[in-house]
Amino acid sequence: MNKFAKWGLTLPATIAVVLLLVIPVVLTIATTFGEPKGVFSTYTAFFNSGFRTNILYRTLRIALITTAISLVIGFLTAYVIAQMPGRLKSIAIIAAVFPLLTGVVVRSFAWLIILGKNGILNSSLLSLGIISEPLSMLYTEGSVIVAMVYLFVPLMILTLTGVLEGIPRDVVEASASLGAKPIATFFQVILPLAVPGLIVGAVLVFTGSFTSYATPQLLGGEQMMMMGTLLYQRAMVTFDWVGASTIAAIMVVITIAIVSIMSRIARRLNPMAV
Amino acid sequence: MTVSLTIENLSAHYGQTQVLKDLSISVAAGELVSLLGSSGCGKTTTLRIVAGFLQPTSGNVKLGDRDLTTLPAHARDIGLVFQNYALFPHLTVQENVAFGLKQRGISSADRAKRATAMLERVGLANLADRLPGALSGGQKQRVALARALVIEPPLLMFDEPLSNLDAKLRVDMRVEIRQLQKANGTTSLYVTHDQEEAFSISDRVAIMNAGRIMQLDTPEVLYQKPANAFVARFVGFENLIPMKTVARDGAIVTVEAAGGARLHLSQDVFGPIKDDFVLATRPDGLVVRQEGEGIPTTLGTRTYLGRAYQYKCETAAGEITANGALSELFEPGAKAVLVPVPEQCCILAPEK
Repeated sequence: MNKFAKWGLTLPATIAVVLLLVIPVVLTIATTFGEPKGVFSTYTAFFNSGFRTNILYRTLRIALITTAISLVIGFLTAYVIAQMPGRLKSIAIIAAVFPLLTGVVVRSFAWLIILGKNGILNSSLLSLGIISEPLSMLYTEGSVIVAMVYLFVPLMILTLTGVLEGIPRDVVEASASLGAKPIATFFQVILPLAVPGLIVGAVLVFTGSFTSYATPQLLGGEQMMMMGTLLYQRAMVTFDWVGASTIAAIMVVITIAIVSIMSRIARRLNPMAV
Repeated sequence: MTVSLTIENLSAHYGQTQVLKDLSISVAAGELVSLLGSSGCGKTTTLRIVAGFLQPTSGNVKLGDRDLTTLPAHARDIGLVFQNYALFPHLTVQENVAFGLKQRGISSADRAKRATAMLERVGLANLADRLPGALSGGQKQRVALARALVIEPPLLMFDEPLSNLDAKLRVDMRVEIRQLQKANGTTSLYVTHDQEEAFSISDRVAIMNAGRIMQLDTPEVLYQKPANAFVARFVGFENLIPMKTVARDGAIVTVEAAGGARLHLSQDVFGPIKDDFVLATRPDGLVVRQEGEGIPTTLGTRTYLGRAYQYKCETAAGEITANGALSELFEPGAKAVLVPVPEQCCILAPEK
């Protein structure tokens, strides 16, 4: 096969990406610089609005907390799964991934039922006499984070199980034979070798939760708007297309920034990570 | 600080299958003993039990007067060299070698000094800052060796350390391993399936089969005087000819092979001869003659070996391989007799 034929194979995908992703993104971002009040006027407007920057900070906070919690839960679970014998392992992975078979809306909606005023959690706590009146758990950052962790942990487990399984047994044994206690082996060998997986998982969860729409819409409501819901409101409720594009552009930049910070951390922890 | 390794009555199971059967070995201080056998013979299982990666069903492991049997692997203080090197891919060569020292709480200045000195000994000082991924197989195994040696363990263990290297490097490396081991006087246990490797590197070799030690001896004894049919076959005694004693007259014993061929063997040269035994020889241990007392045969395929002609010989006792002298050429199909050379034959108990 000659060189051109080989490149030809990537042509359909390249055309799709250029037509459906590169051009729209460039056009969207371009519109934000075309305002009569000045090239960066939409951005100064965004960052001068306390309401909007609050939403940005909240979105960042929620996404980072969700990522951190998912990393810990996902890693611990994957660590256990990776050591299971074959059959049990497949069952555990299927069980972990099972929630992915239903849609995001359904899974977020489930938390409405659990966390609501008359929800399962409140009624259980009431009947156990732990609380005397229902807690308001919905429409808080906490409820959004809980639902997002639930949403994204399966992805993390899946990614990390693969990476942890790939750590050769004899490397772990070599560490023990050299006198490393299990905790030292964990921090000096297993964790650094899992870094590539932790980064992939973290990027997946961060971008997913940073850009999420359905979950904050259902569980955050008007009080707990995130960038996704704000963008929707700008575009579909107030028809402020330039404002919406500005939000989109800010989201793209922040996502790229966070991802590159993560891979820089990864490289420091494990020189083999990309 | 050289100590002996004592393995006593070790048994191990994988599920229902017993993989080690009451195995005992002792390795003297400073000695290198190899466990030699085909895959599944239990040699690696033995090593993994000594290392602390597997728990035996019964028996115990002692290093000097320290009982290791229930200690976790990290508390055993054993230097281990793995078949796949098992280097830490995220650490540089230097950090790999210093890893064990770090676990022992040695200061980073001391660690660096000792790791560098050890890397110089294995000739890799110039690669200290590389990651293992950038090294060749031989270099990786040198790093693994340095990493195991730098902690100055009372016991070194090798799990088929050379089987991923090419033939020439294998020979160089085994000489190097032996020199380092001798220079340090470290008691060592070496697992391999390669007979030449085991014989060339070891003080003593344990030939294993089905979870048991068939014979533990110096390479010379194993090679010349195998104790049983299994070991004989393992070290190249291709011909195992079952025989029966039919008459005794002082030291001279008249024996009969299947098919009725009779030989007169002297116990003065062959050693004591039982009523039922196996005469074991290498192809060199049989002389091909035109006539005389021997096992009658029809010669089959002839191959030229350089130092001799090798014949596949049809006999009433089965097919036998014999090396005939260059000076006397036999044609395929010729009738001849095979005469055992006493010094090159072993009288062994029949196989069960």
